[in-house]
Amino acid sequence: MVPEQKKISRFELLMDAGFGAQKAGDILIRAFAKTGKYVYIEPMFPAEISPPPRTRPSMSGVIIRLADFDITNVGNNTDLMIAQHEIVLGRRLDDEEENPHCQILLDMEDQRDNPTTYEQLIKRVKDLGLNIIPFELDDASKMLIRGLGGSGKNMFYIGMLTHIYNTNPQVVIDEIKLTFGKKLPQDVFDRNIKIFENGYKFANEHVPLCYEVTGKLKNTERVLIDGNSSLSMGIIDAGIKLYAGYPITPASSIMHTLAKIFPAYGGMVHQAEDEIGAIGTAIGSYFGGVPAITCTSGPGLSLKQEFIGYAAVAEVPVIIVDVQRSGPSTGMPTKTEQSDLPAVIFGSHGDYTKIVISVANVIDCFYAPHVARYLAEKLRLPVFIMSEFQTANSYKVIDKPKVTEMNKVEEIQDFVLERFHIQRLPDNIEMVRTNQAIPGTLGGTRRVTGLNTDQSGSVNYFSKASQRAHAVRNEKIHVVRRALTKPEMFGEQEGEVLVAGWGSSRGVIEEAISLCQVDGLKAGGIHFKIVYPLPLMLKEIFSKFKRIVTVEVAYGDEMKPSPLAMLLRAETLFDVRPILSKATGRPLTPRGIMAKVKEIIGK
Amino acid sequence: MSTEVQKSHGVETVTLKSLHTENPRWCVGCGDFGVVMAIKRFMVDRQLTAAQTVNVSGIGCSGRAPNYINTYGVHSIHGRPITVALGLALARPDLNVFIESGDGDALSIGGNHLIHGINKNFNCVFLLFDNELYALTKSQTSPTTRKGHKTNTQPTGTYLDPLNPILLVLGIGPSFVATTADWMPDHFVNTLQAAFDHNGFSFVHVTQRCPHFDEENFDHKITSWFSFLKHPKGIAPDKRIADKAEVVEHDPTDLQSAFKLAANPRRHFGLFYINPDKPRYDEILQNQVKNTLQKPRTKLLDYFLL
Repeated sequence: MVPEQKKISRFELLMDAGFGAQKAGDILIRAFAKTGKYVYIEPMFPAEISPPPRTRPSMSGVIIRLADFDITNVGNNTDLMIAQHEIVLGRRLDDEEENPHCQILLDMEDQRDNPTTYEQLIKRVKDLGLNIIPFELDDASKMLIRGLGGSGKNMFYIGMLTHIYNTNPQVVIDEIKLTFGKKLPQDVFDRNIKIFENGYKFANEHVPLCYEVTGKLKNTERVLIDGNSSLSMGIIDAGIKLYAGYPITPASSIMHTLAKIFPAYGGMVHQAEDEIGAIGTAIGSYFGGVPAITCTSGPGLSLKQEFIGYAAVAEVPVIIVDVQRSGPSTGMPTKTEQSDLPAVIFGSHGDYTKIVISVANVIDCFYAPHVARYLAEKLRLPVFIMSEFQTANSYKVIDKPKVTEMNKVEEIQDFVLERFHIQRLPDNIEMVRTNQAIPGTLGGTRRVTGLNTDQSGSVNYFSKASQRAHAVRNEKIHVVRRALTKPEMFGEQEGEVLVAGWGSSRGVIEEAISLCQVDGLKAGGIHFKIVYPLPLMLKEIFSKFKRIVTVEVAYGDEMKPSPLAMLLRAETLFDVRPILSKATGRPLTPRGIMAKVKEIIGK
Repeated sequence: MSTEVQKSHGVETVTLKSLHTENPRWCVGCGDFGVVMAIKRFMVDRQLTAAQTVNVSGIGCSGRAPNYINTYGVHSIHGRPITVALGLALARPDLNVFIESGDGDALSIGGNHLIHGINKNFNCVFLLFDNELYALTKSQTSPTTRKGHKTNTQPTGTYLDPLNPILLVLGIGPSFVATTADWMPDHFVNTLQAAFDHNGFSFVHVTQRCPHFDEENFDHKITSWFSFLKHPKGIAPDKRIADKAEVVEHDPTDLQSAFKLAANPRRHFGLFYINPDKPRYDEILQNQVKNTLQKPRTKLLDYFLL
């Protein structure tokens, strides 16, 4: 069968947790990347370790987007799904992310015991107008899987997908070897390969689908990396020497990565007794002159708030990473959201000063610690790095970023600052206290406190000293405001609609705006990496558009602006409204944005 | 700010005067004066370089102590000084770290950190200023307030029996537990000597008067209500009042005996327990770095090469 040429395609593999969907995804994207394609993978997994199989919470899957050009996000609608059974498929159809021509490959093995639910699901698929291709593993493969104690089905699906996406099976086998080769006994490994080959053969004979996404092999060194790993490496490259954290999803994997390798780079990983302890230890280290960082997610952020305000007042630098998940409260630990923005900007009590950086992709994750450290030490303030579940867990193939081996903050490289749209800060930034000596410095004996102090560091409750301390701290933020350059913009520089976003939405905004331009819509996009403070030229940029709208993975409605919209309204007095502000736990999509832009321009 | 820290060279002479900062804002007769004086006397005796010393505290009357000792200092937030001190101990093992905390700070809001500080056994001297109530917030019941004592939050008299801090700490598996009182300067300084020389988390309980809110508690003019612990490996009874007080023999390596003494309602001053062999968490993390072959960062991302 002659493969159908595609510039871009997105497929999903949906299984029960514990059956190897994540491993299958890893193997496939490495193989795709090695054949020169651009890939982006978003894993979806339950918050629990292993929920009962054949239940909706048990779904573990991967969404893979591959293209012959660089892709910035996991994209729109799915072209093809392989589902282990009707329940995971039904669960996923609820998210409404399939396109109208989506091909559904449904494994029918469980049908015998569940004829009714299968029948209902097949009817639902047909009602949606989608094409369903029922299939079942051949008897030989079933035997092999039984012999392996029930595992190995993922190999069959990998085999099918290898054929469907017209990939050289040997490349995939090499990746399977890299993944399992050393861990499995030879005979077990061989049986897995056999199942893979059966899947490949099965698709060749029985599945009438074959796509070709062209790949261009490049000579540059490339890495396959997820957001949290990239951030971990960035922490090392930025010269940070102490990590303090408490286990929390989805920030924990940063601690896992560093626990393995940090000591080889002179760093220590401290697993604290709680979230408060973690930031306290980071502050203690930084008071001692040793750069430190703490990473957490929503609930942990709430717990750290008192210490964050303390760091601002005591003028001890500290870096806090918040890998956002769905909130409020425990919310949905393994789903993405961008709703912690108010919590970092206004979270600690009183008028406390802070800088908030966000990351749009895995490369930003690598360089954000450099910028955070630079700002934290120059300003002696808490600096947040805002990541998101989706950015933290999605993998992407990228050209290997340049390591900068930063020791002192003045060594920060221009391209790193430019990436975050900020210029170098001046040298003479005023502090509340003149003495900022590090312990060990003779005659320094600096004492810090959360109480208000005067310039000498003495506790001072008098009106002038309090007003001065506020003014000095806020001037630090003004210094940053003045150093911020124009944020990244896409598409039109003036026109009907300007679509604003921050953090992970950069990729979808960029893609949505280019789709809008193809359709002749007068739309532009703007994306903020440093979200607090905002640059001074915003009003000027906004004044060139009829409407300013935001797209956010956070709740908002007619009467309640979502967090970024609220912030932009307050800062500019423009009537900024959210057009997409969803708390579904699912990322935004370019077509979703484009549809909304069309809708409001049409009005 | 950098990872290379300028080291001092110990050329300063440490005197009571050089350690003075300002007159403390504590009430007349407050036991905290005695504690700060004991720390200063100890520093002078040992000529501990001020620049190499950090006092870390939480919130409450005890929390103000670092402001009144001319060393480096962190007056942190309520209940959390142990966490900050751990950061210093990990990052800067060259520093002398003292923690000043109170009964509310360490046993109530910061109880979790006390458990884990003791268990982690990182190197520091921890002083629990125990005046058996919240004072800076104006007389509320604390975990150690005696039953029946009237406070602003339990005005008919504190409801529960107090928590026993020595018993609690012994149960956590400490490496050093000593007790002293604010009005016994010699005993206090000797206790600090032993605590400072011990390698690990040295827990020192300080019986501290608060005449402003509880003038009946801890009558320092009489000795009938306490005993000193005595042993060659221990801390000598206070020489000014040893002859007036009961002295009990206690081997500080005997944990069972320590438990029995701690459970006794009578107060005992001295070294309850010492275990010099308990592993230190700070040392473990530091050794991890020392014993791992250091890699250049140039190939940092090669772990992820395709």
